[in-house]
Amino acid sequence: MKKSLISIAVVAVVLVAGFIWVKNTYNSLVSSSEEVSAAWAQVENVYQRRADLIPNLVATVKGYAEHESETLAAVVEARSKATSVTISPEELNEESIAAFQAAQNNLSGALGRLIAIAENYPELKASQNFSELQAQLEGTENRISVERQKFNDTALAYNKQVKMFPSNIVASIFGLEQKGYFKAAEGAQNAPVVEF
Amino acid sequence: MEKRSRNSLRLTAVVALLLAVTLLRAFPSRPAPERLVNDLAGIFTPSQRQELESVLVAFDDSTSNQICVVTVNDLEGDSPASYAYRIGESWGVGDTGFDNGVVLLVKPKTGSSSGQVSIQVGYGLEGAIPDLRCKRIIDDVLIPGFREGDYYGAVYDACQRLMALASGEISQERDREDEIAEVAEVLVRLFIFFLVLFILVMVLKHNGNGGGGGRRDRHIYIGPLGGPWGSFNSGGSFGGFGGGGFGGGSGGFGGFGGGHFGGGGASGSW
Repeated sequence: MKKSLISIAVVAVVLVAGFIWVKNTYNSLVSSSEEVSAAWAQVENVYQRRADLIPNLVATVKGYAEHESETLAAVVEARSKATSVTISPEELNEESIAAFQAAQNNLSGALGRLIAIAENYPELKASQNFSELQAQLEGTENRISVERQKFNDTALAYNKQVKMFPSNIVASIFGLEQKGYFKAAEGAQNAPVVEF
Repeated sequence: MEKRSRNSLRLTAVVALLLAVTLLRAFPSRPAPERLVNDLAGIFTPSQRQELESVLVAFDDSTSNQICVVTVNDLEGDSPASYAYRIGESWGVGDTGFDNGVVLLVKPKTGSSSGQVSIQVGYGLEGAIPDLRCKRIIDDVLIPGFREGDYYGAVYDACQRLMALASGEISQERDREDEIAEVAEVLVRLFIFFLVLFILVMVLKHNGNGGGGGRRDRHIYIGPLGGPWGSFNSGGSFGGFGGGGFGGGSGGFGGFGGGHFGGGGASGSW
């Protein structure tokens, strides 16, 4: 009688301890996952900030360099493609981030070419409007690289938890998956060089 | 056995690598004692440094915005914006809650290399000091002054402009509330410490009596509780925390607050 009581008590203690451990591990996984989502929101924010600058930039360049319509059209097209790719926080996996990054890189390239042609138009380069847009664009590119880095850092912290023993057990029970990273592509992700 | 040692070797390598990466990313290291003017390139005279420091500390005291001036001779291959960002983020310029720090980084022009300058603005001040304003301060104040070799005058004027912009957004006098909270935290910790100590003493004494002790023993141990409590309340032995520990507030810089940066600001070169 006494023995069975003891074994019941042991089982109860083990169950309670196990429950507390699973609860704590799960909650900490969820909170790091939320941090990743928040970091992602910041990433989309700064990319949107760049997209918002583009109509103004295109209009300014158009005023001085009308027959560069091809480059201008490429920027407009790349912008609309890039803004159409968004990722919900639940789908921050390798492929979706790669697709997002590809679309944004495409826009970076088009923007770089647009800035480069400005070199051929001294009046454009000298205009107040254009230099202001360049300064804003430069600040935005810095923000993009900062937020991408911060996203990768938070995703790394989360992925470690998902992968490492013993929290990986809890992650697999609740179907929590790893998040993707931004990859440093071969020069493609580099900000368009804005020289002054 | 061999496998285990190889594993531990691998672990050591990973830890060493992580450590190295952390050290690299934390560079340049936070100054000790913390100060707002860090003339690592040595372009200011000691009295200029002193003057600018006191202006910036007074501004920090009256508005809680922290403007940190850093001069270096080498950006270590980094861009000025990224270098200034790393300083701001790793030193924690500005308050955690407000993220109201500004880093003004100057790499003076030397024989072969061009001069670089960057202003990085914490998240909380991005509205008050937009990139364009930074750009204008760089183009209109800093670079013209630097070209004439007047590093101090240009930096001083730029700081005045930045202060005028920043105080429009966040202007909260540093009160002693933070410090009161800190003192309260210390007191709470002390209380817990004494509580644990008391329980420990009680348990030890109880065991020392062989567990056979009667109820009378238990009553005796209320005494030690009264002891710490008495001096705790009277403040006699803890009075030192109020004055001594936090006395630095009015004179020197109170320290960086852990503010964050998002890459906002502007850069330039000459």
